[in-house]
Amino acid sequence: MSANTWRQPTGDSDLPPEPGQAAPSADGTPGAGSGATAAIDEPGRSARRFWSTRRIPAAVVALLSAAAIGLLLYDVVSVRAGRSAMRWRLRLAEELATRPLDDIWVIVGAAVAMALGLWLFLLAVTPGLRRLLPMRQPTGIPGTGEVRAGLDRRAAALVLRDRAVQVPGVQSARVAVGRRKVKARARAHFRELEDVRADLDSELGQAVTSLGLARQPTLTVRVRRPKKG
Amino acid sequence: MLRTVNRVLLGLLGLGLFALGGGVLLGGLDLPRRWDFGMPGWWPFRGPDDVVLGTEGRTRWREEGWWWPTVIAVLAVLLVLLLWWLLAQRRRRLGGVLVDSGDGAAARLDGGTLEDVIEEEAQALDGVSGAHARLTGRSSAPAARVRLLLEPHADPAWTLGRLSRETLTHARDSAGLDRLPSKVRLKEVRHRARRVG
Repeated sequence: MSANTWRQPTGDSDLPPEPGQAAPSADGTPGAGSGATAAIDEPGRSARRFWSTRRIPAAVVALLSAAAIGLLLYDVVSVRAGRSAMRWRLRLAEELATRPLDDIWVIVGAAVAMALGLWLFLLAVTPGLRRLLPMRQPTGIPGTGEVRAGLDRRAAALVLRDRAVQVPGVQSARVAVGRRKVKARARAHFRELEDVRADLDSELGQAVTSLGLARQPTLTVRVRRPKKG
Repeated sequence: MLRTVNRVLLGLLGLGLFALGGGVLLGGLDLPRRWDFGMPGWWPFRGPDDVVLGTEGRTRWREEGWWWPTVIAVLAVLLVLLLWWLLAQRRRRLGGVLVDSGDGAAARLDGGTLEDVIEEEAQALDGVSGAHARLTGRSSAPAARVRLLLEPHADPAWTLGRLSRETLTHARDSAGLDRLPSKVRLKEVRHRARRVG
C-alpha cells in the first residue's frame, strides 16, 4: 500500500468556516473564517517567539561558581591567617603546573570545557521554550493587545488528532506538531483513500487555522490502510 | 530584565570557557605548528610541553604587597555578585497591587486575592478544566502569568479570546490598572481519541 502524501500551505485554504466555528467568531474572536492572511496584514500581531528566562541554567551556574569561589576564598583567607592550604588546592596547583598540555587529562578537560562553553553560549542565544507555539493576539478588543499567549505543541496535536478521527473512514490518527510543520498520519479502514485524504486535508486545514497560531504551520497528510492481521 | 542578565552572563561565561578550552587544545594538539599559523606574543599556551598554569605564572606577584588583598577582594566581590545572581532567580510573587482609589488615599489589593479571582473566572470559562494565575512585576505595574489546562473539546483560540476579553479585562479594571500585561500558556488534558458522533 503506497502512502499518499502531498502538502498544502494551510494559510491559503479559503474554506468556509464550519458551523462549530461560527459561534466563537460571532462574539468577536477571530475564528476559523477570518483566516491567516488577516493575521499577517494587521500590525501589532507579532509572531515573536517566547524567550525563556533561563532561570535554571543561571541558577545552576551561579550556585556552582559561588560554591567554588567561596571555597577558594575561604582557603585563601585561612592561609593568610596562618593555617596551611587545603590539600585539593595544593594538588590542583601541582597538577596544573606539571601536566603538559598534551597530557590526556588536560586534553579531555579542555574538550569538556569547550563543549560546556558552547552549550552555555547556545543557551544564551537561543529562545528555548520550543514546546510553546506563539498564538495570534485577539484583536478588535480594547486592552487585549497586552496578552501574549502560547499553545503547547502537545495540546495542538491533541486538538488536531480529535478533529482527524471525526473524519468518516478514519480508524486512527496520529498528529505530530512541529514548530513549522504539522504531520498527520491516519489509517482509514473504509472509503477511498483519496476521499479520506481530501476530507482530512480540509478538516485539518480548518482546524489548524482555528488554533489561532501566529504562524501557520504547513500541513502534511498521509493516509494508509491498516495492516492486515 | 532578569532574562537579559541571565543570557548575557551565561553567554560570556560560555565564551570564556570555550576560549580557555580551545586555547589549551590548540597548544596540546600543537595545532599552530601543524597548521602553520602563529599565535600572538602574549599567548599563554606555547605548545605541547607547556602547562596550563605554571609555578612562575601562579607566583609571579605573590611577593607584591597588593597581591593577596587584591585576590581576596576580587573573590569576595565575585562571591557577592554570584550570590545575588543566584537569589535573583527566585520567582517573586507579587504581594499586593497598589490601587488608586481616587481620593488621594492609596489602597493595597492583596495579590493572592486577585490571583484567585483570575483563576476562578478562568475556570468558569467553557472548555477550561484548570487555571493557574500568578502576579509578577511591581505593585504599581503588575503583570500576570496564566496557565490554562484545556478540556478535550476546547477551542484554544476561542478560549484565549474569552480569557483576554473577559477575565483579564475584569481583573485589570477591578484593580483600577491601566494595563495588565499578561502571558498565557495553554495546555490540554491528555486523553484518548474518541469519536464524537
